[in-house]
Amino acid sequence: MTGTRTISRRRFFAISGTVAGGLVVAWSIPGCAATRSRRAFTPSGFVQIDPDGQITITAKNPDMGQGVKTSLPMYVAEELDADWASVRVVQADLNRDRYGGQGSGGSDNTPSEWQRLHEAGAIARALLVTAAAGRWGVDAAACETEPGFVVHRASEKRASFGSLATDAAQLPVPAKAPPLKDPSTYRLIGTGVRGVDVPAIVRGTPLYGIDVRIPGMLHAVIERCPVHGGRPAQVDSARALAVPGVRQVVTLTGLDNPTHLRPGVAVVADSTWAAEQGRKALAVTWDEGAGAAESSGHLLEQFRALEAGGGLKAIRTAGHVDSAWRAAATKVELTFQQPFLAHATLEPQNCTAHLRDGHCEIWGPLQMPTSGAPVIANAVGMPVEAVSIHITRLGGGFGRRLLSDYAAEAAVVSKLVAAPVQVIWSREDDIRHDYYRPAGFHHVRAGLDGRGSLSVWHHRLLTLSRNRYRQSTNGPEMTEIYGLLVPQSADPADTYDPDLVPTRIRNCRLEYGDFPTTVPTGAWRAPAHNFNAFVIESVLDELVHRGKVDPLMLRSGFLGDRPVIPKTDDASVPYDPRREQNVLRLALEKAGRQPLAMHWGRGWAAHYTFGSYAAVVAEVSVDGNRLAVERLVAALDVGLPVNPLTLEAQTQGGALDGLSAALFGEITIDRGRTVQSSFDGYRLLRNSEAPDVEVHITPSREKPMGYGEIALPPVAPAVANAIFRATGRRITRLPFAAAGFEIGAPRSYGL
Amino acid sequence: MSSFTLSVNGSTRTVDVAPDTPLLWVLRDRLDMRGTKFGCGRGFCGACTVHFDGVATRSCQTPVAGAVGHAITTIEGLGAGALHPLQQAWIDEDVPQCGYCQAGQLMTAAALLAKTPHPTDGEIVAALAGNLCRCATYVRIRRAVRRASNAMAGRTP
Repeated sequence: MTGTRTISRRRFFAISGTVAGGLVVAWSIPGCAATRSRRAFTPSGFVQIDPDGQITITAKNPDMGQGVKTSLPMYVAEELDADWASVRVVQADLNRDRYGGQGSGGSDNTPSEWQRLHEAGAIARALLVTAAAGRWGVDAAACETEPGFVVHRASEKRASFGSLATDAAQLPVPAKAPPLKDPSTYRLIGTGVRGVDVPAIVRGTPLYGIDVRIPGMLHAVIERCPVHGGRPAQVDSARALAVPGVRQVVTLTGLDNPTHLRPGVAVVADSTWAAEQGRKALAVTWDEGAGAAESSGHLLEQFRALEAGGGLKAIRTAGHVDSAWRAAATKVELTFQQPFLAHATLEPQNCTAHLRDGHCEIWGPLQMPTSGAPVIANAVGMPVEAVSIHITRLGGGFGRRLLSDYAAEAAVVSKLVAAPVQVIWSREDDIRHDYYRPAGFHHVRAGLDGRGSLSVWHHRLLTLSRNRYRQSTNGPEMTEIYGLLVPQSADPADTYDPDLVPTRIRNCRLEYGDFPTTVPTGAWRAPAHNFNAFVIESVLDELVHRGKVDPLMLRSGFLGDRPVIPKTDDASVPYDPRREQNVLRLALEKAGRQPLAMHWGRGWAAHYTFGSYAAVVAEVSVDGNRLAVERLVAALDVGLPVNPLTLEAQTQGGALDGLSAALFGEITIDRGRTVQSSFDGYRLLRNSEAPDVEVHITPSREKPMGYGEIALPPVAPAVANAIFRATGRRITRLPFAAAGFEIGAPRSYGL
Repeated sequence: MSSFTLSVNGSTRTVDVAPDTPLLWVLRDRLDMRGTKFGCGRGFCGACTVHFDGVATRSCQTPVAGAVGHAITTIEGLGAGALHPLQQAWIDEDVPQCGYCQAGQLMTAAALLAKTPHPTDGEIVAALAGNLCRCATYVRIRRAVRRASNAMAGRTP
């Protein structure tokens, strides 16, 4: 989910007037000559101020529940000094020239959009101030702003933003962005702002991709080969076409890259229900292909054989792990099994497309419109400029919608039937044909020396690679090693990888192996981190137990007490072990040290994900085989917290998502097929099973980082470590339900 | 195809559909009431919850023929002009994340409070245990139900 993290600071801003005489500030990014030549005309902008005082801010990136439709406009409003009550937020369409890259992933929006959105707000504010100063004949430097007003204290003059908008629109673009506010003067950032879509959501207003309606729109469902990697060989559509309401049956051939478009048979009808009835009447003979022999058991055998065969690649090495292992005073050797996970967004995959007159118009829940557009264009054989995308609200993402296959499907079906079409996946389609969190196998040997310091760490990761599945030219390990411990390197380029944790472990080796498979894989919330943290924190806990060492001392010993790479003004923020230690200390302190009842246990874990730090303390009770997670305490350091209300929500939801996956999450493969098909076989956490989540945020002025994925990784190991404290049993295979536990309800909900 | 006359949010609506068509798809595809959501089509997730005569009912499991004669209420009709106290509590507690399940959560909670105005914590989670939230907004859902219950009783939360 990480892409290029640094963005150019050089940007071009444009201002213009609106038809009604208001002010519009838009930006364009370098290299988009077309925009610069069109600078004078910006029909809809980035921030617009109308003469009546209404302020409209465009939300450029998709919101799937992580709250960026609220938090990113807060950046603009802050620098503008807008009164939030007069702000209206509208969702942007895909517009390469005006907005640059549009997408949400890797918890990256919070840091990467910071500078330019603040600048957009600051320019608008400067123009309003200049307009006011001109009107009053005073020095602009003597003017201030209050939310919604420019004021000149000496003359007690005061003008609303709306009354200045028309004048401001006549002013030239400032040569450079004015200085940004000192964070200590923020009025909006750092306060809890409620989600801008919430009033519409609670009324049932149509907001989502599945709610899109286009005149003349048909409804389609797609039957796909039950065996991953298979394709239709023969299609008998006669009975399907006889179902009332069914219009056409068309075959999708798929593309070579299965993350772009997979083969299938689409039934197109007047309604969703008719399309589903038509699908039931289809008779398709499948070419199952090489994947028909694949199974979860076979994959595990292959992981073990790959390790035994010695065909692993050394990713990072320091010292001599074999001799250090022999010499260690305390040894822990554990293996871990990482199951496939499904995303199961509650809004099933869907998209609406209308292909006509050389133009492909898309409406849908796209998480990555910018990278989706060329996928859609390629699928229908059009230039990318012919694709336009209207971004709807997303009914969940969790990484599933980083891929745009469902949009390509809609475009292709629309092309084949020459009509606007909405493609909808059933829940069964979604669970059976997801791009799963890769399954894997970990083998770790770790040891303490005689003084209780971590002297050896040898981690072998055998997994499936989503980079390999998506045919990326990047190394297959690149998407799977996030968050793993590596030795510090003499080469700063090696050490300065924001997705790895540089350590001072003298004998440290990370090895990796994978192989191709037909089972589809993709990113799942806090990708790779979501299981790697479980492995690391389980081993550390076992070392603490066996070596009888202080957990915080152990960590400070190998993580150090300062950043390995000094801070620069680069967009990335180097890993700082002190911040991780601080959140762990905070979570432990807030959880308290009071003794627990018999058969109860308290466990903890910490992890660094995409520039932010989280620690979780879990309390569990284990009565016989009945496991209840009684309480979760989370502490986070995300830098400057942008919207504490959303941060709390994402921490609660992220922690409980991690708990749901740890308790129940497992997709199994048999005869090349996914065994589970709906929420009976693929269980999600229920309200009654969800403990209270106490959220504690470290106050910080550090660079603001994202928080959509941060609380999730430490949860599974915190619970495993708590189970160990309660029972002496070390669980190394997820989910916990597969270890024979029945999942019970907590005794209290903290209401 | 057959003709069915339904009572939805106090209005009489007639649709011409196959008798086995689930009420969910009649609402969404025929009556253009898109607040009721499709989540699984099997009754597992609760996103499609509506009221039949005040009782929380899975619209994906109810053929349109079985909906005739019941007073159907959907999320669009929950507040009857103004916001229902639950909808206001959902706003005040900033409950939704992606928001997709929330219509079903609200309909289930409204049926609970209509029958049990002062539910215990256990009654709240028992009533809502059948409504999955993939974003796991459960903590705030519980708080919001409590807040609405207090508001309806004239107490400050």
